[in-house]
Amino acid sequence: MTRSRRPSAQTTAVVLALAEKPTAWRYGYELCQQLGLKPGSLYPILVRLADRGLLETTWDTDVPAGRPPRHLYRLTGSGRALATELAAATAATATRRSGPKGSPNERWQGA
Amino acid sequence: MRWTRRRVQTVTTWVIVVVWVMFYAVALANADPLPPLETAVRQLVVPPLLWVVAARLVLRHWWSGPGSRMSAMDLPGRLLTVAVAALPERRREWGRAMLAELAEVQGRSARWWFALSSVGAMLWLPPAGGWPVLALVAGVVVASVAAAGPAVGAAVPGLRVFAVTFTGLVGAMVVLAVARLRRPRPRLPVPAPTVLVTSGVAASIAVTVIFLRREPAAAQYLPPAAAVYLAAVLAGCLWVAVAAPRWLGTSRLASHLGAAAAVVFAAWFWLAIHTDEMKPLGFKGRSLSLVVLLALVLVSAPVAVFFVPAFAAGRAGQSFRSGLQAAVWTVTAMIPLTYAIWLPEGLRRHAIDGRLLIDGEVVAPVGANLADALAFCLGIFPVLGLTLAVIGAGLGARTTHRAVPNDPS
Repeated sequence: MTRSRRPSAQTTAVVLALAEKPTAWRYGYELCQQLGLKPGSLYPILVRLADRGLLETTWDTDVPAGRPPRHLYRLTGSGRALATELAAATAATATRRSGPKGSPNERWQGA
Repeated sequence: MRWTRRRVQTVTTWVIVVVWVMFYAVALANADPLPPLETAVRQLVVPPLLWVVAARLVLRHWWSGPGSRMSAMDLPGRLLTVAVAALPERRREWGRAMLAELAEVQGRSARWWFALSSVGAMLWLPPAGGWPVLALVAGVVVASVAAAGPAVGAAVPGLRVFAVTFTGLVGAMVVLAVARLRRPRPRLPVPAPTVLVTSGVAASIAVTVIFLRREPAAAQYLPPAAAVYLAAVLAGCLWVAVAAPRWLGTSRLASHLGAAAAVVFAAWFWLAIHTDEMKPLGFKGRSLSLVVLLALVLVSAPVAVFFVPAFAAGRAGQSFRSGLQAAVWTVTAMIPLTYAIWLPEGLRRHAIDGRLLIDGEVVAPVGANLADALAFCLGIFPVLGLTLAVIGAGLGARTTHRAVPNDPS
C-alpha cells in the first residue's frame, strides 16, 4: 500500500525551485540561499525526493583544483510531473485565498 | 597552533607517560606489601613504553590518510568530516555532498551555521525501513529492557543490572542496525569468526548465570559498575562480530587469523591453569623435553598470539589496517573465550583446595574469581594484547612497505 500525502510547504518550495529550470543541474548551497532554507532542512528533503525517484543526482567534477566534486540535483520525469501538480495546487490555493471567503470546509483545505 | 604529526605524537607520548605514572603512583600508595624495586621499575617502564610505540604507529598510519586532510581543515570542516564518517555507507554520498558544499561557504559564522545544520540533518536522514518500522523496533527494545530487569532479577538477583544494561545495549545496536541498513538484517562478512565470538558471548553469559546461581554470595563481587562494564564489553564484542563497521570485515584473512589466535590464547590459558596445578608434583615422571616444550609455550604463546597474527595480516594485506583488523578480532574473540573458561575453572579449583585461580597461594571466597575474571579477561589481557597486536600490525605494514620496489607512496 502506498501512502499518498500532501508534501510539506518546504518540500513544495524545493520541488518548485528545481522546476524553474527543469533541465538545469542545481547545487545544494545554491538552493539553500535561494529558498532561505538551512542545510539541515534541505538535505533530508533532497534525500526523500531521491529515494522516491523524483530527483536525480550527479557529481560535478569540473571544480577548481583542491576543491571536492560537488553534488548536483535536478528533477526526474516523475519529479517534473509532481512539480506541475504542486504548481497547479498552489495556484488554486492562492486563487481561493485572494477571492471571497468560501465555506468553512474550503477555508480548512491545505491547512 | 597547527597540529603537525610530530606535535600530536609528542603530546600523545606525554599524556600516556604522565597518566600511567600518576596511576601507578596511586596503585603503589595503596599496595600492601610494596612490590620489589625491580618489579616496580619494570611495571613503571614497560607498559607505557609499549603503549607509546603502539600509539605512535596508529598516529603515523592515521596521519598518512584522514589525519593529514583533517589537519588542513578548520573546525566546522573537521566536525562535518567526522559526522560524515559515522554515516552508513548508503548515505555517505549525501554526507560528501554536504562536505563539498561547505567548501563553497565563505565566512566563519556561515561555515559554522552550515556545518552544524548539516550535522543535524545527518541525524534525521530517513532510515531505510522508514520511521514507523524504527519506532516499532525501538518500542520492542524498550519493552524488553523493562522486562529484563524483573525477570532476570527474580531468577539471579545479582545479574539484574547486567541484564538491563546488556539488553539495552544490544537493543540499541538493533535499532541502529535497522536505521542504517538497507535491509534490516545483519551482515555476516566472516561467518566463522562471527559464530566464534557470538558463541563466546553466549557462553560468558551462561557461565556467569551458573556461577551466581551456585554461589549467590558472589554477587558482592559484581557491583553495578562492574556489571555495566561486563555488559558493555560483551555487547561490544557482539557488535564487532555481527554488525561491525565495514572496514573491520574487509580482510577475511585478518579476521580468521584473529579468531584462530584467540582460540590458541584460550587453549594456552586453559593449559596454564592446569600446568599450574601440576607444579606441586614437580613434573615428576614427565620427560625433560615435554617440560621444556611446556615452558616455551607458556612463556612465548601470549606474546606470539597477539603479535604474530596482526604482523602476518599487515604483511599479507600490505597495510596497517589489515593488521589492525586481525588485532581487533583477536581481542574481540579472546575476551569472551577466556572469561567463559575462567569462571568454571575457578569454581573447580576452589572446590579442590579453596584457592583462587590466578593466585593459588591465597585462600579466598570463591566469588573473588568473578572480580579476577573481570580484571584480567576484560581488562589486563585485552589492553596488553591489543598493544602488542597494534605493534605487530605496524611492523608488518612497515616490512611490506620496504619490500615493495618502486612504491610511489
